[in-house]
Amino acid sequence: MDIFNISLPVAGIEFNVLLLIAIGFCVGVLGGFFGVGGGWIVTPALNIFGFHMAFAIGTDLSNIFGQTIGAVKKHQKMGNIDWKLGLISIITSVIGLEIGSQVILILEKAGEVGLVVRWCYMVFLFGLGIFMFYDYFVLHPKQLQNFEEEPENNSGATPKIVKTERSKLAERLYTLKIPPMVSFPASDIEGVSLWIVLSIFLCTGFLSGFLGVGGGFIIMPALVYLIGLPTVVAVGTSLITVLFSGAYGCFSYALKGRVEIVAAFIMLIGASIGAQIGATAVKYVRGYGIRLLFALMIIFAGLSIVTEQFYKMTNKPLFQTFAGIVLMGTAITMTIIVIGKLIIESKKEKSLKINN
Amino acid sequence: MSIKKIIALLLLCIVIACAFNNSYAGDVGGKEVTSLDHKVDTTNLSGVNLWIADLYNNNKLMYAIVVTLVMAALGTTMAFGTDLILKMFGMDVTKISHRE
Repeated sequence: MDIFNISLPVAGIEFNVLLLIAIGFCVGVLGGFFGVGGGWIVTPALNIFGFHMAFAIGTDLSNIFGQTIGAVKKHQKMGNIDWKLGLISIITSVIGLEIGSQVILILEKAGEVGLVVRWCYMVFLFGLGIFMFYDYFVLHPKQLQNFEEEPENNSGATPKIVKTERSKLAERLYTLKIPPMVSFPASDIEGVSLWIVLSIFLCTGFLSGFLGVGGGFIIMPALVYLIGLPTVVAVGTSLITVLFSGAYGCFSYALKGRVEIVAAFIMLIGASIGAQIGATAVKYVRGYGIRLLFALMIIFAGLSIVTEQFYKMTNKPLFQTFAGIVLMGTAITMTIIVIGKLIIESKKEKSLKINN
Repeated sequence: MSIKKIIALLLLCIVIACAFNNSYAGDVGGKEVTSLDHKVDTTNLSGVNLWIADLYNNNKLMYAIVVTLVMAALGTTMAFGTDLILKMFGMDVTKISHRE
């Protein structure tokens, strides 16, 4: 496999090209499909395979920026992006993020900031994951009982639409009529208080800054459960924030000399292809299917952090290895599921078209 | 997405990054990021690698601009290319109905 090793001039190490492309591809598929950046996979993966942590983060952010351009373009084509909401999310999230960062600095002075952040991260991931499971297995079936399903449309191109209520939480927030009221036609939202929207993004931004993550995996569920967006629109719209944080992070980290451009370039080849595949796959998966897979993904991400925490507590390398395996295993399994779904459903669509 | 939107977003990022260079991406998660005092050894390098290393060693701002532009250009090009290939396989996308 040495023939695939290349020299990375800035990081000063040798790295396998195929491995870079494979990591990029997996994170691209997940990014396009779930509307996340995937930094929680790439940064530890690069670090495990020999990257210095400083370069791993910067290179990852550069890759996220490049891959998200393609995913955004694709989601825009499918009508999955609410630009107005996306731009509001960027501006408000930056303020929340700054507040979150300041809280971290205060905690740092008090000591044990890493432990607090890790525990909060675990609680957040498991809490959100369990809630999403509850929504899928308990709330969703109840909602379906309230609506009559429309007859199956066999044209193939336009699949069956099952109307469901917005989340109960979003409905409750809509009842708070604090002016000014805003509408988001692209998301089918007629009137919601601007203050509610700003508060939600302030909170997601705060969590981003506090937990030290890009924000895609926080914003996507917030858009679904708190603002009431259809899942695919939430995926597309959250990518706007990811694109912004990726572009900003890419430039900022490169300015500090923390991006390995050759590695980012090679990884982006795989990531761009993956992002297009992932974004295309949302066409074939129901919103609740995306939510279920998302819930599974964050539960496993949480498990990996728990294992990492055991490593910090016991200093046994076995736990760290296990954390890496859980993380990479989750990414690879999810990628296979998404691609498998895409292939199976697109074949079905093709055969339906031929039969008609 | 229009090219204008991408360029506008890019410019916004550059302005914010220059203005708040030590905040946002710098201290998320409690890890303050300072400039790396790292110089690349160019003795065994040649061609593109040498050019990248020289740029990295001598002008970080230009290095940052090059990295950002290269990522944007490659991301856009690959997106168009992959889109064409997926179309060939019959996986073209148009506006979709949002189904839950």
